[in-house]
Amino acid sequence: MTDTFADYLLFADRVFKTYPDGDVHAVNGVTLGVREGEYVAITGPSGCGKSTLLNLLGALDRPDQGEVFFRGESLSKLRDLDRFRARQIGFVFQSFFLLPTLTARENVQVPMFEGPPLSARDRAKKADALLDLVGMGKRAKHRSAQLSVGERQRVALARALANDPVLLLADEPTGNLDSENAAKVLDLLTALQKTHKLALIVVTHSLDVAERADRVVKMKDGQVVEDSGADLVPTPDAAATG
Amino acid sequence: MYFSSFILKNLTRRPWRSALTVLGLAVAVGTMISLLAVNHNVEFAVSDSFNRRDVDLVVTQAGVVFETDSDFSEDLVEQVRKLSGVAEHGVSEALVTVEPLYRENGTVLKESIMVQGWKPDNKAFSDIELLEGQLLTEESMGKVILGSQLASNIKKGVGDTIYLRVDSKYEVVGIYKSFVSFEDKAVTMSLKDAQKLTGKRITGFSVRVKKTAPSGTPQAEAEVQKVKEAIEALRDSNDPTVRLAARTPDSYVDSLTHLKIVRAMTWMVGIIAMVIGIISVLNTMVMSVLERTQEIGILRAVGWPPRRVIQMVLGEAILLGLVAAVVGTVGAIMATHLLAMSPKVDGFIEPGVPLKIMAQGIGITAVIGLLGGIYPAIRAACLLPTEAIRHD
Ligand SMILES: Nc1ncnc2c1ncn2[C@@H]1O[C@H](COP(=O)(O)OP(=O)(O)OP(=O)(O)O)[C@@H](O)[C@H]1O
Ligand SMILES: [Mg+2]
Repeated sequence: MTDTFADYLLFADRVFKTYPDGDVHAVNGVTLGVREGEYVAITGPSGCGKSTLLNLLGALDRPDQGEVFFRGESLSKLRDLDRFRARQIGFVFQSFFLLPTLTARENVQVPMFEGPPLSARDRAKKADALLDLVGMGKRAKHRSAQLSVGERQRVALARALANDPVLLLADEPTGNLDSENAAKVLDLLTALQKTHKLALIVVTHSLDVAERADRVVKMKDGQVVEDSGADLVPTPDAAATG
Repeated sequence: MYFSSFILKNLTRRPWRSALTVLGLAVAVGTMISLLAVNHNVEFAVSDSFNRRDVDLVVTQAGVVFETDSDFSEDLVEQVRKLSGVAEHGVSEALVTVEPLYRENGTVLKESIMVQGWKPDNKAFSDIELLEGQLLTEESMGKVILGSQLASNIKKGVGDTIYLRVDSKYEVVGIYKSFVSFEDKAVTMSLKDAQKLTGKRITGFSVRVKKTAPSGTPQAEAEVQKVKEAIEALRDSNDPTVRLAARTPDSYVDSLTHLKIVRAMTWMVGIIAMVIGIISVLNTMVMSVLERTQEIGILRAVGWPPRRVIQMVLGEAILLGLVAAVVGTVGAIMATHLLAMSPKVDGFIEPGVPLKIMAQGIGITAVIGLLGGIYPAIRAACLLPTEAIRHD
């Protein structure tokens, strides 16, 4: 069956995650395939395991059971997940987490220390180009505290793109924004996904996001209960796992 | 942006905390550097005074705890003069003591100054520079010459009178400058006067050995060793319990009890200062890592491996250490000068911090930074990115 995984950029094969303290099955047997350049929205009630699933997909955490495949290769066999994240994945979070001591331009360069080798000058140049891309070129020398929340999230978006990832993971990227700024960030995300041919997985409560996505995945109690692109995914063989 | 400027910015972000940490560490390091420097300077002054006068052996009474307690007969010195390995005019004896200096009315002018009694043929007379008046002669009873620093300190010049032990007064006949710092702060009188003053005979003498090979070669060392053994075998027929101890200048300095105490204190205070420094860095860095938990989670999420997080935290700790080393060194230089000016220690402390000690101090501070940074760095590196990001 492994060969069919290879058709996907990312494939989660019956992954489970239980947190030790709460005894909560945060992710309870999820199978999900995401293709290159695909735009997937994950929705569901609070606490249903969306963030946990996203962390598993983004190699921030390892599943207790099941495996995540990247281009057909199991992440559990990858020795250096840090390097994998640095080079292949961009993260955007609900809180922007820019480093307060650094300017926008410097914040965008933070992931580049672990990216493909670049000179300090090239890093700065690339950061400027990315800031232009998110419409923040004129604020390159501002620090986080001098930026509006919408602007901060756009800088965070530029940072996520620092090492030219193929996959962008966003956890409630508009959760802290008013509707106007949220729309701006969403437009930007959608545009970047198209121009950079990024696979984009967005965890969201917002219907706006769901509307723009190619595909909406609904979760409940740690499981996928609805998937508008389910026909694309090989159905998990429950009998075989049981 | 360079990784190093990233580290620097993390420190400048909380300027007060960084400054206070640097200050605390600088006090610790400065204390250590000043002690090491003072220790070094005193030892150096003593060994340098012998080395520059080509002294091969320093002889004192064996078995005394403090060198000022040394006391033996001139007969023993004469026996040494006759030893075959000793150079001609190679023996310079002295009576060295520490005495209070009085005013005419009997009140104390200086609590303790060094008084040395020399014979007029003492080799040291040839290398001290007479600034004023004259040197001592065979007949110079009741006359003294003053080191230039002492003279200006007590404001005495040629023709003035000084009082040692209430009833002993001496006329100042000359002012000299000596490259040996403690001689420059001393009173020098004839050996006979010193014997009369203290009731002692000789406290020590220096020996130049007749060498057939250049100093430092194994052959020269063997020749010195031979003379040393001969001196230590000598006996005074009138006082058979007295033995002599002959040492090379460096091992003489090592053997000085006062200096041993200073050395032990230096190390003790130095280690305490180091521990305080480590705790200070530890405290600051643990706080700073705790505060930045979420940030560190983000750094890990964007692909920074634990190794780079360690580099960041250790880099900050070491940088704090290096800044503190510079501040501490400057402070130490000032402290030794202040200390040297203090009347309590006048004459016993040489100001200044030699380069060697500075380098040691900076090295030790870097190590303090490293030791104080290791635990917080490992803690930061062990943060799980998902947990760190959730942290609040
Ligand atoms: N570190 C943790 N330790 C213990 N329990 C956790 C931890 N993280 C999440 N959980 C629990 O796991 C379940 C899923 O959490 P998760 O954060 O994935 O939900 P979510 O769908 O992202 O919710 P929200 O929409 O509120 O962000 C919840 O019941 C949560 O309480
Ligand atoms: Mg969540």
